[in-house]
Formats: sequence, structure tokens, C-alpha cells
Amino acid sequence: MKIVVCLKQVPDMESKFKIVDDKKVDEAQIAFKINDFDNYAVEAALQLKEKHGGEVVIVSVGPDRAAKDIRQAFAMGADWGMHITDPAIVDGDSFVIASALAKAIQSIGGVDLVMTGVQTEDLQAAVTGVMIADMINVPHCTNVVKINTADGKAFTLNRELEGGLNEVMDLTGPAVLTIQSGINEPRYPTLPGIMKAKKKQLDVKSGADLGVSASSRTAFIKMFVPVSDTMAEIITGAPAEAAAKLVDKLKNEAKVI
Amino acid sequence: MAKLLIIAEHRNGKLSDATMELCRIAKEIAPGLGLEPVAAVFAKDDSLAKEVAKYIPEVFAVCDAAVEGYTSDAYAQAVKAVVEAKDVKGVLIPHTYDGVDFAAKAAMAINAGIVSNCNKAVVEGGKLVLTRNIYNGKLQETKSVTTDKFVVTFEKGAYDPAEAGAAGAVSTVAVSFTASRTKVKEIIAMSTGGVDITQAKVIVSGGRGLKDADKYKDIVIPLAAKLGAEYAGSRPVIDSGWVEASRQVGQSGKTVSPDLYLALGISGAVQHVAGMKGSKCIVAVNKDPEAPIFNIATYGIVADLFEVVPGIMASL
Repeated sequence: MKIVVCLKQVPDMESKFKIVDDKKVDEAQIAFKINDFDNYAVEAALQLKEKHGGEVVIVSVGPDRAAKDIRQAFAMGADWGMHITDPAIVDGDSFVIASALAKAIQSIGGVDLVMTGVQTEDLQAAVTGVMIADMINVPHCTNVVKINTADGKAFTLNRELEGGLNEVMDLTGPAVLTIQSGINEPRYPTLPGIMKAKKKQLDVKSGADLGVSASSRTAFIKMFVPVSDTMAEIITGAPAEAAAKLVDKLKNEAKVI
Repeated sequence: MAKLLIIAEHRNGKLSDATMELCRIAKEIAPGLGLEPVAAVFAKDDSLAKEVAKYIPEVFAVCDAAVEGYTSDAYAQAVKAVVEAKDVKGVLIPHTYDGVDFAAKAAMAINAGIVSNCNKAVVEGGKLVLTRNIYNGKLQETKSVTTDKFVVTFEKGAYDPAEAGAAGAVSTVAVSFTASRTKVKEIIAMSTGGVDITQAKVIVSGGRGLKDADKYKDIVIPLAAKLGAEYAGSRPVIDSGWVEASRQVGQSGKTVSPDLYLALGISGAVQHVAGMKGSKCIVAVNKDPEAPIFNIATYGIVADLFEVVPGIMASL
């Protein structure tokens, strides 16, 4: 099987997000990592490769710093990758990014399956995978929590639904699957894996190289820290003291214990 | 007049709350955009369309065996057909499991820009301005659509459902469907059996901040025992196998509304909050002062839970 995994490098969500000029976050205070959902997609792809043979190709849109996490996926076992660093694509909206990823997938050719995370942790849009499927004219399944295939072509998939339900569905590849967290246990790179990753092929591409002509269909206005009108009453003091105050409030103010 | 269309959502013959929430949003923003609020219901017959008509002035029913159950191919085709037949300019879709599965495809089918996972929509100078969470809810952004047509998806629960009123008009729209490339075999319940945490008066819930399975067992379970509470967890805790799936609180797990919900090391992602925001009293313990859980909690302690919980145990 030839499997493409679309991967994004995102900030660690426990980072401190300081807004600059109402329009971006200060990257100096941010640690970057693989989008958690994409990490599960990489693992799912590697498991299919182990069973059916073939290769796993990583395709990513992002600035130069994203190369570190593409190589992290190489260290897990992915074979080679394509990195679209062109600012005209990186700064585009989901439609532009999906257009570039679709062109990259078509340029690789002979792809049996495209996998990506359900959504990115930073923008939480959950649209890119579905757009790619539409652009390359293949079926898709979102929120995949189980993959069964005997031949790498016909798939039976579990799509997660609300309240603990799953839809069990059939489709025939090529297809796009967006992978939900918890589907597997992503492996950690081994030391030999890390050594090999340094030498694996990573092609850097621009939008022009891939023939991308899309322009954004949405416009960003500004970003801000949310204001809540139901903000918690923060109990201060050393941990033990705060804990005692909390128990007192739960007993005598909220009267819930 | 051009129209603002909501797509109704239903499963097992029952409309989802998200449908009535979209009716409220459509009626609120349509006048400022110079649009008429309408709905479309895709189902085997028009019975649910008549139900939706209590909440919005006009409903288009697409009645066809192809949409008796949900598939993304059929839903995207149905959206395109209604948009073209009824002069629709904007489409509102719930940001739910099914909505996420077809909204972007529908947007592609009508050459529209899409802004997904929104929690607020306002009209400023005739332009639709959408607010959405980013960075796991730590920040928010506003966006607009630059194409002629637009698709917007909304977080479930972001708005109250519309109230029922006089029955609106229902008419049918015929769609010639092509066969779906995906085939639904069945819909199954995954977490059958196990404990029913929805009846508990007090719930102690742990998140990623617990670090590992052993610490979850050493911290959350004894505190729950001392409070006579059930213990539970957020998605990362269940994904990592620290506790069984029947104890998951959130969109993909259980919805709970106890008197007291103690959230330990839980950041408060929207999907988790959807399952517990109805709790009478919410306590959040998290060392990250910017964790969104503090935006909905009653009481908060910004500190290391491993230092706070022993203090709570000692004070009980």
C-alpha cells in the first residue's frame, strides 16, 4: 500500500499564548510538536504498512521549523516526505492548504490511502481532510476509530458518533480517513529510527512546483483572549490552605457535600 | 429574497438539539444579512420537516430513500440541490459528528468558503463575523467568508434552542441522487455495560494532568471514595486506558449533571465541557491559569493537583 499521511506541526497546547498585534501568537514562548491527532494517523498508517507492505509518505504544509516533526514521523517509521514551505500556502486558509495537499498527493501518484488527524489542535477546524477527499475525488470517512481491511483496498471502518455510538461503514479505496485519538497507541521513535530519519528523503516544494492556484475563501479578522462572564472564583493560598478553603465553601456555601 | 439555510440533523427519527440551536442562530442573523431563514430536512418522509417547521418559517423536505440514513455523498448532493433550487446564499450546519463529515464537502459542492466550529455569529455592517475557539479554547479568533456563498458550522450548545411557534410552510425538493460511495452497515453502541456515572450526585474526574494510570488510581479513586462519588475522566484518560470507557465524560462519552463535578488536571476542551457544563457546582484544579476550564468552573485552584488533593483529603 502507498499511504500518505498529512501532518501538521502545532504548538504544545500547554504553552503560554501571548498575542502580538491582535493577529498572531508570539512563537518565542511556544514549543512545537506533531498535532496529536496526526500522530495517531501516522501510527495507523505504519500498522497498515506492516501488514500489507508498501510505504508511508508524510506530506506537510508549514514553515521550515515543521521539518523537525516531519523527521519525527520518519523516526517512527515513515519512509519519505514532502514539505510545502511556501508562505503563500502556509498563510492560506484551510481551502488553500487542502488544495496544496491534494496537488501533492496527486504528484506522488498511485496513492491507496490518505490519512490525517480529525482536526488540528491549534485551529480545530476539522475540514481539511474532507476537502482533500473532494478535490482528489475519492470517498472519505471522518472520526475513524477502527480500521479493518483484508487487502488494503476494501475497508470496513468505525466512525465515532455522539454518546458512545459508532457507525460501521464500508468503502473502497483510494479514500481519505480522518483519524480520531485513541484508535491506537502511537509508538515512540527508537534510537536507530532517529538515526535513519536524518537520512530519509524530504522534498521541499512551493505552490508553483505543485501547480496550486487556489486562493483563500475566508478572511482572518483578529484573535483575542476569551472573556468569560462565568469565570471561576479563584481560591488562593498555599495548596493545603486553598484545599481547606475549598472544602469549607463546598460544605457551607455551595452546600454540595 | 435570497435565503439562509440550516441543515437539520436527526438520528433514529429524532431531531438533535443542534437543529433547534441553528434555527435560533438563523433567525437572529438572517435579517441583518438581508436573508430569509429557512431549513432543509433530508429524510425518508416529511414528518421531521413538519417538526422543524415549528421553529423556522419555511422548511424544504428532501424525501428519498438515499437520505433515510446519513451518508456524506447524499447529504452534500442534497445541500447542493436545495441551494441551487431555492436561491440560498448561506448554509448553517451543526459542528457535530455528522456535520463535520459533510459540511466541508457541501461547501466544495457550492464553491463556498467555510468557517467551522463557531460559537458566535454577529452581523457588522452587513457582513457576517464569526467567532471560534483556537488553541484548545485558550484563545479565540474572528473570521469572515470572502466568497459569494458561505457555509458555517456551529459548536453544539453554543446557543440555546429556538422556541417552538406557529407552524411554518413545508414543501418538497426533488433531488436526483447518484449512489453513495460509502455504505453504512450498522450503528452500534460501544460502551455497553459498565457503571452508570450519569446518576451520581458527586463526580471526581481526572484529565491529562494526572500524568499516568498509577497516579490516576492513587489520586482520583481515593478522593471519589471519600466523597461517596463516582470517578470519571476526560478523553485522554480513556484513550490512554487509565480507566474504562463507560466512565468517559464528554461529547463522545457521557453527559452528566451532578451537584458537584471536581475536574482534576482537565484543561476544559469544548468536547469535555459539552458533557459536564450542566453540573450544579464545578471545581477546577489545574496548574495552568489559562486553562479554559476556569471559564466555566464555580471554584478554581491554580496549583499542582498532586499538592491540592492531599489537602482536600485531609480537610474532609
